[in-house]
Amino acid sequence: MHPSITSLLLIALSTSTIITMSSYHWMFAWAGLEINMLSMLPLISKEHHPRAVEATMKYFMTQAAASAMLIFASTINAWQTAQWDISLLTPSTPMMMLTLAITMKLGLAPFHFWLPEVSLGTTNSVMLIITTWQKLAPLAIIILLHNSLNHHLLTSLGLLSMVVGGWGGMNQLQIRKIMAYSSIAHMGWVVMILPKAPDLSLLYLMLYIMLNLTMFLIIISTALTKLTSLFSTQNKSFPMMILMALTLLSMGGLPPMTGFLPKWLILQELIYQHQTQMATLASLSTLLSLFFYLRLVFNAFLTTPPNTSNVTKNWRNQTNHHILLPQMMILSLMLLIITPLVISLF
Amino acid sequence: MPTILFNLGLAFMTSMMGLSLQRSHLISALLCLEGMMLTLFLMLTTWATEQQSSLLFSALMMLLTLSACGAGTGLSLLVTTTRTHGSSNMNNLNLLQC
Amino acid sequence: MLKIIIPTIFLLPVILLSNPKSTWMNFFINNLLISATSLTILKPQINTEWKFSSPYTGLDHISSPLLVLTTWLLPLMTLASQNSLKKEPYERKQLFLITLTLLQTFLLGAFCATDLALFYIMFEATLIPTLIIITRWGNQPERLNAGMYFLFYTLTASLPLLIALLTLYNLNNTLLITILHFLPQNTNPPSTSFFLWGACMMAFLVKMPLYGLHLWLPKAHVEAPIAGSMVLAAILLKLGGYGIIRTITMLTPMTKTMSIPFITLSLWGVVMTSLICLRQTDLKSLIAYSSVSHMGLVTAASLIHTEWSLTGAIILMVAHGLVSSALFCLSNFNYERINNRTLLLVRSMQLIMPLLSTWWLLFNLLNMALPPTINLMGELLIITAMFNWSPPTILITGAGVVLTACYSLHMFLTTQHSKFSNHLASMQMTNTREHLLMSLHMIPMVLLMFKPELVWSGTY
Repeated sequence: MHPSITSLLLIALSTSTIITMSSYHWMFAWAGLEINMLSMLPLISKEHHPRAVEATMKYFMTQAAASAMLIFASTINAWQTAQWDISLLTPSTPMMMLTLAITMKLGLAPFHFWLPEVSLGTTNSVMLIITTWQKLAPLAIIILLHNSLNHHLLTSLGLLSMVVGGWGGMNQLQIRKIMAYSSIAHMGWVVMILPKAPDLSLLYLMLYIMLNLTMFLIIISTALTKLTSLFSTQNKSFPMMILMALTLLSMGGLPPMTGFLPKWLILQELIYQHQTQMATLASLSTLLSLFFYLRLVFNAFLTTPPNTSNVTKNWRNQTNHHILLPQMMILSLMLLIITPLVISLF
Repeated sequence: MPTILFNLGLAFMTSMMGLSLQRSHLISALLCLEGMMLTLFLMLTTWATEQQSSLLFSALMMLLTLSACGAGTGLSLLVTTTRTHGSSNMNNLNLLQC
Repeated sequence: MLKIIIPTIFLLPVILLSNPKSTWMNFFINNLLISATSLTILKPQINTEWKFSSPYTGLDHISSPLLVLTTWLLPLMTLASQNSLKKEPYERKQLFLITLTLLQTFLLGAFCATDLALFYIMFEATLIPTLIIITRWGNQPERLNAGMYFLFYTLTASLPLLIALLTLYNLNNTLLITILHFLPQNTNPPSTSFFLWGACMMAFLVKMPLYGLHLWLPKAHVEAPIAGSMVLAAILLKLGGYGIIRTITMLTPMTKTMSIPFITLSLWGVVMTSLICLRQTDLKSLIAYSSVSHMGLVTAASLIHTEWSLTGAIILMVAHGLVSSALFCLSNFNYERINNRTLLLVRSMQLIMPLLSTWWLLFNLLNMALPPTINLMGELLIITAMFNWSPPTILITGAGVVLTACYSLHMFLTTQHSKFSNHLASMQMTNTREHLLMSLHMIPMVLLMFKPELVWSGTY
């Protein structure tokens, strides 16, 4: 693809997200989402092979249906209340539909099937955009609406996607699919805490984006695709694999690292609101995700690569370390120390 | 007015159902998507005429434009799918499953 | 405190910047200096008061012996794993030492934390270095399985602990151990305090391990390299006992009724695991089960939580920490020579290595708690306290003592005294490093025999 076209698409992508986030009228929010989808499609199908086309098709179908549902819900709301303002929404049945449309855009549990499949058909960098930047616009809408949404629906969707994300990733061999399932599980955390403490869900989203960015920078710079390709990467850059393993454990939320920070604060908030059972369920559901992170960790540096095996050697031998990688690595491993600062900010 | 809203809502739901249950032909799924967008257009126009507000007319144009864009993209994707997968059958879209 | 923690953190530059030839020596000597420094906190205390170095860190008579044990064990671990890491490239040796240093830092943090949230974070943080040690430097492919077991047993039990701690924080607005003791706890509804008790105890009972929740331990011990086994048996299990002792005081009204099934189970586990020891074929697994059996006594003692039983628990933890680590070292000497852990194949070592046989005898005697040792002191205190709690327990604890003697002798006799077999004929002799390692285990045991007040909690 010509660089100018790519830059045009990226500009459209970022502008449309900003349109959605800053809009006051449902129509503009919808237009932003639609432009966002339309500029995403060529990026997904950048590589000309059947899998990319299939991924584009799936992405298009789900996103178009979700935006149609969103505008339908807001139209019904307008029929009932004669209001088009996003912030002036009343809790009603169309809100339920709107929540479902947004969960479909985010890839939450009952509507998550497109995300792993799209992740397999695209390149790593596009997958990075899908799992980070594309979450912003839909989340901005539901964070604006968090008072009038149905709390039980959001909470149960969040819990469901934590569990489904954990279970789904268990038998995957493609690293991008594993990252997609981890994204489903993390989005579950974001949505679960949203009706109770939107600040915390914003914090979780920020830290998730940071961890995910680190992980994808590693994946991009070492050209990882499958679990077995981790074996040959070990020989190329061993320190990178160690740091990747630690980043994965941080994503799993093990204490001395950054990933524990948002989980800790969320659990504390849940207990503060006397929802101990839900806190227990949520904390135990991280074990499911931790299982597949741990499998990646085992393959990344805890086992020495076998010499005679069916691992094909990766012929792309040079690793291009991204310039952002060291800073992101430090942030994604050592941010637990600033917890008091974070608490004082919120 | 509630009857109109009910009917339009039913039309939207029917085409949504068609989209989600369509398993064989890609073109039918795209048609269902278009049906959804047209129902939305009807809903908005009836709402605007009922409210006697000219506020929404530009928004209506935006809706039509973007849904036309969406339809165009969908058709081009249909063509690409036919070229890469051999047919526009939905069962062929199974390369990414696992 | 800082005079121990900061040098420990600065072991990292020592590892990274030393001359490759002298890395091990520098690391070992620095470690010994740190442990010598840490001996200053081991003063016999008249009363049980805290010594604070900051609002969140402090030491008292319960944590200081365990902290000294931790700093004492790190040089021994480096000494023990020198031979098994001989063939590794230099970078991996550095990585190994870095992992050990981080583990030590987290353990020190766990033992000197007075805030339970800090304690929890440090308690969990020890998981990652231990997991790396077990699964990176273990020998068989089953080590991955063992690592999974280790991590998931511990995490499944300790995530409810996090919830319980946050609930406690919500109720009392503080998690400082020193304050929590004095707050009234019986204001909760009974179901809440039931779950609170269970969640607080379960994490530590799994770590101890309680009989029935112990399956991860033999696996982890069998698969771990020598340093991993040593640190698991000597310190990580004690973290569980320490946690029980710390948290049980703030759950007082429930403990009277709730602890009975767990005390029963742990005492039953003493007998059962001793019986399991008698029919083990794997040397390392035998030692692992023997530590489950000893830890059963410690669990029961810390659950009844009287002055005597606490004293016994601390003494037994320190004694067992040194003895089990020494036994793992001894079994590793055999393993390095024969590459096998099966009891049937490693026999009549007395003929080949008589001096090592002496060490075997000494440490087996310590393991079965022969009279002048502090193991006996700890066991007697625990048995007395248990008898005072409920007289029939003397049957179970007595049987436990007899069976401990049985399997210790069984282990000694099968490894040292059976028929000589020819495949052992060409064996490497023992070297100075091994004897130094054994004496560094033995010296503190002997010295503690003469002055047990050092680990004796301060009331007597």
